[in-house]
Amino acid sequence: MGAAAGAVTPRPRQRPLNWRRTRRGSVPYLLVAPVVAVLGVVLAYPVYSLVRIALERYGLFELIRHHGVYIGLANFATVLHDSVFWHTMLRTILFAAACVSLSIVGGMLIALLLVRVSGFIRILITSGLVLVWAMPPVVAVQVWNWMTNVQNGVLNYVLTELHVGNYFQHNWFASPFSQLAMCAMLIVWGALPFVSITLYAALSQVPHELVEAAQIDGAPFWRVFKDVTLPVIAPVVYILTTLSILWDFGVFTQVYLLIGQAALTPANYLMSVYVFEKGFVISDYGIGSAISILMLVTVAIMSVVYVRKMLRVGEVT
Amino acid sequence: MRYRVLAVIATALTLGVVAAATASASSHRTASHTLTVWLQVDAQNGWPSVVAAANTAFQNSHPGWTVDVQYQSWGDHLQKFDATIAGNDTPDVIEMGNTEMTKYMAAGAFANLSSYKSSFDNSAKWLAGLTKSSMFNGKLFGVPYYAGSRLVTYRSDLFKKAGIKKAPKSLAQFVGDLTKVKAKESKVKGFSPFYMAGTDWYSALSFVYDYGGAIAKQSGSKWVGTLNSKKSIAGLTAYKKFFKATAAKSAATLNEANPAPYTVFSQNRTSAIFGPGWFSCCTGKKYTKVTGQFVMPSHTAGKSMPGFLGGSDLAVPGQSSAQTEARAWIADFTNTANEKALQTVGNIPNATNLLNNSVNDRAAQQSWFVPTAKHWVDVENGNILRTMLAQILTGKLTVKQAATTASANIAYTLNQP
Repeated sequence: MGAAAGAVTPRPRQRPLNWRRTRRGSVPYLLVAPVVAVLGVVLAYPVYSLVRIALERYGLFELIRHHGVYIGLANFATVLHDSVFWHTMLRTILFAAACVSLSIVGGMLIALLLVRVSGFIRILITSGLVLVWAMPPVVAVQVWNWMTNVQNGVLNYVLTELHVGNYFQHNWFASPFSQLAMCAMLIVWGALPFVSITLYAALSQVPHELVEAAQIDGAPFWRVFKDVTLPVIAPVVYILTTLSILWDFGVFTQVYLLIGQAALTPANYLMSVYVFEKGFVISDYGIGSAISILMLVTVAIMSVVYVRKMLRVGEVT
Repeated sequence: MRYRVLAVIATALTLGVVAAATASASSHRTASHTLTVWLQVDAQNGWPSVVAAANTAFQNSHPGWTVDVQYQSWGDHLQKFDATIAGNDTPDVIEMGNTEMTKYMAAGAFANLSSYKSSFDNSAKWLAGLTKSSMFNGKLFGVPYYAGSRLVTYRSDLFKKAGIKKAPKSLAQFVGDLTKVKAKESKVKGFSPFYMAGTDWYSALSFVYDYGGAIAKQSGSKWVGTLNSKKSIAGLTAYKKFFKATAAKSAATLNEANPAPYTVFSQNRTSAIFGPGWFSCCTGKKYTKVTGQFVMPSHTAGKSMPGFLGGSDLAVPGQSSAQTEARAWIADFTNTANEKALQTVGNIPNATNLLNNSVNDRAAQQSWFVPTAKHWVDVENGNILRTMLAQILTGKLTVKQAATTASANIAYTLNQP
């Protein structure tokens, strides 16, 4: 009874408090609601369409009539029994791994350089990086095409003049390996600015006293970097790696334009190109959608590992 | 706070006005009657005056209409077309390669033009090859636009310098002539007497047909790949031998889009190229007067090598809301005067009564065409033939191995349901 009487007195106070609390608690949800709504419209519907088409026979005939025929999981069965799919998947994983490692290592080297150079040189390097970042991929591909042109390319000319070897009329796109290597170079070149500037920002957060202390204790450069700098910037490295995996696994523009439609074959397909060829070139949208979903699942699995690591590192720091 | 609210309202109003303006602009565009025409860049580069003449004639007979000609490239125009089909926003007229027609006719993408055939000039005498590519199940879905045979475009000054006075009568003689030119021009850096992109299958497979081979043949309701037949292999072997003897090694894995053979020609890097007759348009100002053409000789002396009969048709997409006007524009574009103008720039006109004894028309008498199968365009776009040619020229596979793989791939693709 006493408890009940005690509870009676604060009631009028508690009601508005609860309401206020609820209101305050709902603010974050209200703030995030527009983003969720927009994502729902621009992401949920396309994903729904993608899944629906993946379960249908949907070719040119069906496209013209805007109506597919439901066939269950037959498209997935076809794709998973196609050796081209598995070869392409493996090639894409290796390609993405090469691009990601080169971007992160290269970006780190540039970031470390930025820390050490004078202000003026830093501005020069940063401006150069921003110019690269600002160049649209289509323009970059055109420039690379000119530079590597078999007849009049500046690359062949310079290498020959420097007596690196006889590169006169050298075709840089002669084999699937060299075609993909050229694409990887272009992609890494385009990714370096973002990676290096972000890593430079992270490096500037490393406490000087920690580095100094390690140096006074006589730790060599590599040891300071591995045991002092790297743990501090690790969350940023993980974020960059995850983002790079997502970008490089699905890269399309550079590969499609640099190699060119007339030279794309199952021997140099990457997943995004494979989806495009099956879906848009052969006009088999059902198969194309099925491959897209499988690709999405693969990237999700690969990223989960990194995101989990990233979260763990974040907790520790 | 009040200002913020005002700002939000102002922004919303502005967006609303912009949306309304855009909506009215798009409906306005429909009201002003625009006929959208998709042509290939070949027309933009080679015969823009013919396009202009057709537009003027159409606009004179259709007051209030404007023609929006949008130039496309062969590599991706079908993907763009598919996207417009999905979005119900197709062009009113589209140029299709004659090898691309069957897939779209079979799927029902084009309007039936059978009952309007007589409204097009010379329709009774259209080239059989092009008419065949416009027909499906006995109905007409396209209007022949022009055909193109394959010719050798050469530098007459360099041939004269090497002591060659007449066009070669056989393949062996042609190789001999090119060897002489090579000897004379040995000091020109990067010069090869002959240039063709190694994977240019339109030109390369002429050797196959010259030796009596073929890409595929129909056996009952099934297609059988025939590139691994004895005759086809003989043709591919001859191609490899010819390429090794006369062409630049670096071109073995290149395609004809990059670099264009006429660009190599205009840069004094070669004395002869093999490709469409209209290549003579772009051999460079410096060499216009010394550019000549002849029909590629066969390995059998005195005969000419069969050339790929390429060509284009014009179709009206079924989704077009201006089909009457689209047919009228096609009729203007393919009238006798315009077809004759196309002939002067190195094309073959669309009707037999317009043919003359030009080198182009002579070349067209010996020609070959791809299998007329629904899925042929998938063989083309899958680059099965280009892969085979690159494998042969680089020696990655033997002629027999490459041809057998390609043949199996072609049969598989053509026999898809």
